[in-house]
Amino acid sequence: MDEMAERPDPAGDASARAQSTAEPPDAELVARAGAGDEEAFELLFNRHRRRVSLIAGRFFRQPEQIEEVVQESFTKAFFALGDFTNAQESSFAAWLARIAFNTCYDELRRMKRRPESSLSNISDAETAWLQEHMRAEGAGADVEATAVARDLADKLLARLSAEDRLVLVMLDAEEMSVADIAKLTKWSSSKVKVRAHRARARLRRVLSRFL
Amino acid sequence: MSDTKRKQGLNERLDSLGREVVRAAAMDETAAEAVASSPFLYARLRARIKAEGERREEGERWFTLLGVVWRAVPAMALTTIFALALFWSASVSTRSPSTFSLESLLDTRDAGIQHVVFADRQPLSSDEVLATILNEDEREATR
Repeated sequence: MDEMAERPDPAGDASARAQSTAEPPDAELVARAGAGDEEAFELLFNRHRRRVSLIAGRFFRQPEQIEEVVQESFTKAFFALGDFTNAQESSFAAWLARIAFNTCYDELRRMKRRPESSLSNISDAETAWLQEHMRAEGAGADVEATAVARDLADKLLARLSAEDRLVLVMLDAEEMSVADIAKLTKWSSSKVKVRAHRARARLRRVLSRFL
Repeated sequence: MSDTKRKQGLNERLDSLGREVVRAAAMDETAAEAVASSPFLYARLRARIKAEGERREEGERWFTLLGVVWRAVPAMALTTIFALALFWSASVSTRSPSTFSLESLLDTRDAGIQHVVFADRQPLSSDEVLATILNEDEREATR
């Protein structure tokens, strides 16, 4: 729970920081950028680039892929600035996060059409890691530090569908609530729950092959 | 009963391991941080936005052209059909033999009789008539 408290708000905290200082609020910058003010768009970009990069980093590890998602997200946002209204969205950060997650989802689906890694690539060391962590309960503290774990995780998650991966990352890595996910993906809450249940079942099946 | 419990326990352990796997894949922020702090990222984004703008403009142009074609083709087809119908009806009426046949008008089928129609011939003026009479008189006087 402490980890959750330290986590950034799913919508991003950059805009909140901006509001507290003398910088113009996002809504004003959006209006100016929509009217053709390039400087305003650059300010928005600099304010939210880190958050969008981190969202992309949840799904991809290659810098090229992350940059692709960042550029695509901001390009989509630029051409859709006219559609953004504060009345519909809670904030520009939330609106941009939704675009970023959707871009990641599209990229995952595109990758899925031409898979580059498969279960056959999993080494003996990675299988041993899995078995060890299956036996040892609560061994998650050193997981992030282990390069083996990251490689293995990438290979295992590559076996899931884009929807499954999106939901699991939002739930387990971003620690978002079902309501937040439903809002971001524009799915119903029940669809998110069903999708999460199925995604967990699929991941269990993938894991149990190596145990 | 114990089987169900064992299966449930196994599923819970697998779920827990699954969460670790997802977090392990998502928690590496070094690449994301490196991209976020890349110095020319905005310049590359501007270039991409420009290219995308041009692509969209091109697409819109084609879309407009397609819209014009979409409206023009049926109109042209209708005009062509109307013109063909007019042409056909005109050719049918000129081919009809009984009403406006030249032969029936002039009755040239009768052998030995010649009909000449001077449709655009002007009537003779009184001067011409007088000149003709005088010429006749002079010719007779010379005989």
